[in-house]
Amino acid sequence: MKNLQDTIREIAAQSLARGEVELVIGWEKGDLWWQSYPAFIEEEKEADRLIWDPLCVPNLSRYLLQELSEMDEKKIALFVKGCDALAFNQLLQDNRTVRERVVLYGIPCDGLVDPSKLEREGLDRDLQEVERDGEELVLKAAAGEEKRVPAKDYLYDKCLTCRYPNPVAYDQMLGETVPVEPEERFTGVRKLEELDYEDRFSYWAEQFSRCIRCFACRNVCPACSCIKCVFDLQEPRWLGKATEPSENAFYHIIRAYHVAGRCVDCGECSRVCPVDIPLQELNRKIILDINELYGEYDAGVDPEQEAPLITYKTDDPAAFTES
Amino acid sequence: MSVAREEHNFEPLIVAFCCNWCSYAGGDLAGTSRMSYPPNARVIRVPCSSRVSPNFILRAFQRGADGVLVAGCHPGDCHYITGNYHARRRLSILRRFLGFMGVEPERFEVHWISASEGGKFAEVMTEMPEKIRALGPNRKLRDAR
Amino acid sequence: MKKVQKEKLEDLFERLAGDGVLYLPLEEDGVVNFAPWKKGARVNLEALNTVLPPKRAIFPQTETYMRFETDGKKLQIEQVEPVEGNYFLFGVRPCDMAGIKVLDKVFLDEPEDDIYSRRRQAGTILSLGCNDPHVSCFCSAFDLEPGFAPDADVALWDVGEVLLWKPLSEKGEKLTSSVEDLLEDASAEEERAAEEQRNSAAATVAAAAREHGWNVEGVEEALQDMFEAELWDKLYRRCLGCGICTYICPTCHCFDVEDFGKWQEGERFRCWDSCMFEEFTLHASGENPRPTQKERVRQRFMHKLCYYPSNFEGLYACVGCGRCVRQCPVSIDITQVIKEVGGVKSGS
Repeated sequence: MKNLQDTIREIAAQSLARGEVELVIGWEKGDLWWQSYPAFIEEEKEADRLIWDPLCVPNLSRYLLQELSEMDEKKIALFVKGCDALAFNQLLQDNRTVRERVVLYGIPCDGLVDPSKLEREGLDRDLQEVERDGEELVLKAAAGEEKRVPAKDYLYDKCLTCRYPNPVAYDQMLGETVPVEPEERFTGVRKLEELDYEDRFSYWAEQFSRCIRCFACRNVCPACSCIKCVFDLQEPRWLGKATEPSENAFYHIIRAYHVAGRCVDCGECSRVCPVDIPLQELNRKIILDINELYGEYDAGVDPEQEAPLITYKTDDPAAFTES
Repeated sequence: MSVAREEHNFEPLIVAFCCNWCSYAGGDLAGTSRMSYPPNARVIRVPCSSRVSPNFILRAFQRGADGVLVAGCHPGDCHYITGNYHARRRLSILRRFLGFMGVEPERFEVHWISASEGGKFAEVMTEMPEKIRALGPNRKLRDAR
Repeated sequence: MKKVQKEKLEDLFERLAGDGVLYLPLEEDGVVNFAPWKKGARVNLEALNTVLPPKRAIFPQTETYMRFETDGKKLQIEQVEPVEGNYFLFGVRPCDMAGIKVLDKVFLDEPEDDIYSRRRQAGTILSLGCNDPHVSCFCSAFDLEPGFAPDADVALWDVGEVLLWKPLSEKGEKLTSSVEDLLEDASAEEERAAEEQRNSAAATVAAAAREHGWNVEGVEEALQDMFEAELWDKLYRRCLGCGICTYICPTCHCFDVEDFGKWQEGERFRCWDSCMFEEFTLHASGENPRPTQKERVRQRFMHKLCYYPSNFEGLYACVGCGRCVRQCPVSIDITQVIKEVGGVKSGS
């Protein structure tokens, strides 16, 4: 892992020094062990702030929305994991970014660590640093102690089902591609589908009752790139501010539906939710249905391909008589 | 469903979004042909079935609809050439999604009714309330305030 | 000092719940939040901080206070009384108790907020000292003690098999005598154990504060001159503009007023709002005095660490609970801001 981090720093410094780009977006480290967050590097000498560790989860592609529009013709370099690359392609397809102005450095990703899974087992005690070594995580404590645990047990659920760990879009790939061994991703959806309507409604009503309408799931989403979001409109006021069950349901149904056919299944919505609503399952239900009715489609894989809900076939099936 | 039995004389309230070019005209034909059908639906005229945003459908449920109907031209007959082809995909996904949220699919129907199908319009308007009557009043998604 | 056996807690909860609403940390789908206790509920007194602070019981996220109805040309307006009656907040952590004191300054100062005031008075708060602070806890930076909340009505300490119980206010005394039969006298040994835990918790947080440089001294004054500082240009860039930090904060208290209208009736409610949102300062004209996320992020930290203490005799509107540090999806960390501002100050 150290090697990749060195490469990242080197490349960032080089592209800034050569004037190829004006800004490099990567990750840097905070004071606490889980804090690996987006870094905006504009000077060569700052490149040493960049890091790579198994906690670099925030998706960087979304920042192009803000950084490109503010910088005119300037170019930006971006480090992309598999999910970040899908997100980039989606922004491209939605006409919200410009390929020529972005340099992508691909990072094959073998999964990122879910801090809450370490915490649940008390492994966060005195933790200073988490490193990946093959199939294991190396947990480094304050006093120089090291503990090794199987990595798979502590990765984000979304990483265990990841189907594109190797970036699908890049100008240069850093590191060796990793094997693709995703677990079945629709298990959760299928389980919910087994419930009857009443139970399913109560399940979601309970989940949505925790929603505090912080909009993190929308704001983190690379498919939620509207300049003015429907939920922020004053007139017509589609969504009121009251955290009523009906308003919460409206929010979550429309949020998921608005990214139908564009959701890259990166799972950031579920990750950022402070009250752990399984939001990714909503998006996955829609993905499953699109695949079933209108053919397999993976958003973000090929930006030239038409998204399923902006196109049609004259002999499409409909789902209007099912019950 | 038990709510239905508690509430006597339950009359389903249906919000029907009808495409201006076909289904709304089909409704007119049903009227001028003096066909009778129950008055459960409140018709809202829209330019095309693809105009119907999921926001409209959810808002109808929020404000008290027991069922929502979207009616448009038969695929291939869209006044705007392709509108209802798009609607077919979008509304199919939405219908399944509402089912996933626990809303019975019978509460949300899509029918293709042409301007010459006054009979079909009356038929849909007769059948849908009956299906919903069996389900009872909708409480899901409704704003209780 | 009194004590209650943990095995008797269920009886105690039942008794309290019979005398009002009992809010305490309940676990649901792995999420621990203050919620009304019911028999069989999964109480979790070990969780350090609930996801949402207990302020919700006193200052709910959404609260209707007026209903209106029209009948022809007649308009009827009716005030909605805040839910009356007793309630108990059980297991409030000392930082969260301090958070409630921050809200008190805002809502109970002249002009007093009637809705808040009535609800605040109806409640009895039982605080639970922290034995084992998290690495993101920094209450000591604000002169708070992780093991003790002096402003609570009853202070509790978890010492193994029992909870030690010490009434601190008149309300607390009253409550103590009403559940006397469930309490016992604490032994000197148990009191000593609690004392030790208090000290060790305080030492843990203080040591972390030293290590990380969480020193708020002078931060308010330094920020007075930092409205245009470069710090904000850097900090806002990664902000997603979501409202997590403000909604999970025990001291954030901004709210919006909105109407919900139907054909001939409607209601007016107030609900939490967040300075992180673009809408927050959007004027009817379309003008927005905080046009980008930079101004919004600056506002959040300025309010907590500069404007509020300027208004309320140096009291910071942060209690070091660490919720925002833990929950921010992109790790925007108030302790880093404190450090940097302190650093800017001592460096200049």
